[in-house]
Amino acid sequence: MKSLSNEIRRARPLLGTLVEVGALGENAAPAIEAAFREIEIIHRLMSFHEIDSDIARLNRAPLLTAQQVDARTYEVLSWAQKISALSDGAFDITVGGKLVAAGFLPKPEDAEWPSEEANFRDLSLLSDNRVLLRRRAWVDLGGIAKGYAVDRAAATLKRNGVDSGIVNAGGDLYAFGAPQPIHIRHPEDASQLFSLGTLTDAAVASSSGCFTERREDGSSADPLVEPRRNTTVRWQQSVTVVAPRCLIADALTKVVRLAPRRAPKILPQFGAQAIIIDGRGVRCIAQSARRRSLGNPPRFRPAQMQEII
Amino acid sequence: MRTAQWTWLPAACLPVAAISIPAYAATYLTVEQAQQAIFPGEKLAPANITLTNEQAREIARRSDANVRHKDIKLWKVANGGFFVVDEVVGKHEFITYAVGLNADGTVKQIEILTYRESYGYEVRNADWRAQFVGKNAAAPLKLNTDIKNISGATLSCRHIADGVKRVLATYEVAFK
Repeated sequence: MKSLSNEIRRARPLLGTLVEVGALGENAAPAIEAAFREIEIIHRLMSFHEIDSDIARLNRAPLLTAQQVDARTYEVLSWAQKISALSDGAFDITVGGKLVAAGFLPKPEDAEWPSEEANFRDLSLLSDNRVLLRRRAWVDLGGIAKGYAVDRAAATLKRNGVDSGIVNAGGDLYAFGAPQPIHIRHPEDASQLFSLGTLTDAAVASSSGCFTERREDGSSADPLVEPRRNTTVRWQQSVTVVAPRCLIADALTKVVRLAPRRAPKILPQFGAQAIIIDGRGVRCIAQSARRRSLGNPPRFRPAQMQEII
Repeated sequence: MRTAQWTWLPAACLPVAAISIPAYAATYLTVEQAQQAIFPGEKLAPANITLTNEQAREIARRSDANVRHKDIKLWKVANGGFFVVDEVVGKHEFITYAVGLNADGTVKQIEILTYRESYGYEVRNADWRAQFVGKNAAAPLKLNTDIKNISGATLSCRHIADGVKRVLATYEVAFK
């Protein structure tokens, strides 16, 4: 096993959180720099707030008019649509209006308020990285773009000759090469950690109540919209998804929270597993025998969880 | 064919015991390393300044942020830029970071130097924080070095964003 002792790690405030990039090897420093630059590009392309991002342009573009977007934005939109279809709308990127109404996102200037009925089916993907909206909706990639940025940063490290590294964007992470020990925070006590074991060539994303505001009844609200009930969600659990890509892990944490009954059918199609921690204990999703994976299953070696997965 | 399903694990046989970490820390760069990372190959000269009360009030007014320290750790770069080491304190976290400014006062790059988090009283305790400033990985705090990669930590960088706003106001009021 490679030693991680001569690893270089850097951290910068990006994507609304702290992004940490670690790499091993001679070319580590310039590779890390390139990885951060890639994350900055993803941020600029997919930000809801920045007025000239692909997403902001799409949100104020006239309906039924094809908009050219960057190939990377198109890739994220394609994955989002695939996950929306498979989860029957539990995951939906057209919830920007509800997030603005709930005060989690600032209202975009010069953009018409979206229709109450808008959903992911109103977004069409055309050829040559063109997309169009059929009904007024505000697309927000907050539930998936961070994972994509992590994937792109990891790919950038690899392209720059790094064979062992990690990218961690505020808890959404991807590790490759030397196995990395991963810990998950307890949803109700941030000083308590659970060991998830080691991870190689796989991603982990968590969605949890740490650091969100507590309400009087003990529940917490966070920027996750339940599309059917049109409200932001209150919850008291932590959902962790292990998947072949961080984009998938990031998006599937929302599917597990919003469609817990269907999640065991959806997760295996993406080669993903989930771990839920709440007041009742720890739950895991079992690996399905009939996995129709969209990627190689993660090389995930659980510490002491072998018997339950 | 076996289908996937949720498996509940009774609390009594929790497979993954919780580890308690009252403090967590990561060190990324020393001040010198950050200078080279942001201004590679450039000469930097220390140019520390102490703000007057009037300047501190004006910076607070412009940035809408508290000015906790009147002593500013500032370096001037040969190319006309500036390098500032600053710190922000949250409820649980204490972060030192460096901001590189271009000659025109725009942000060139931000690098985190150290990140510390604590669930005791320590973060707001000056002695506890003092032991980290300018230190490298050999910080004299007992930390579990196996804990490197934490998921489920939706850390906000709001404090850093506020800190950078304050640094930019400081540039306007006191560096130019």
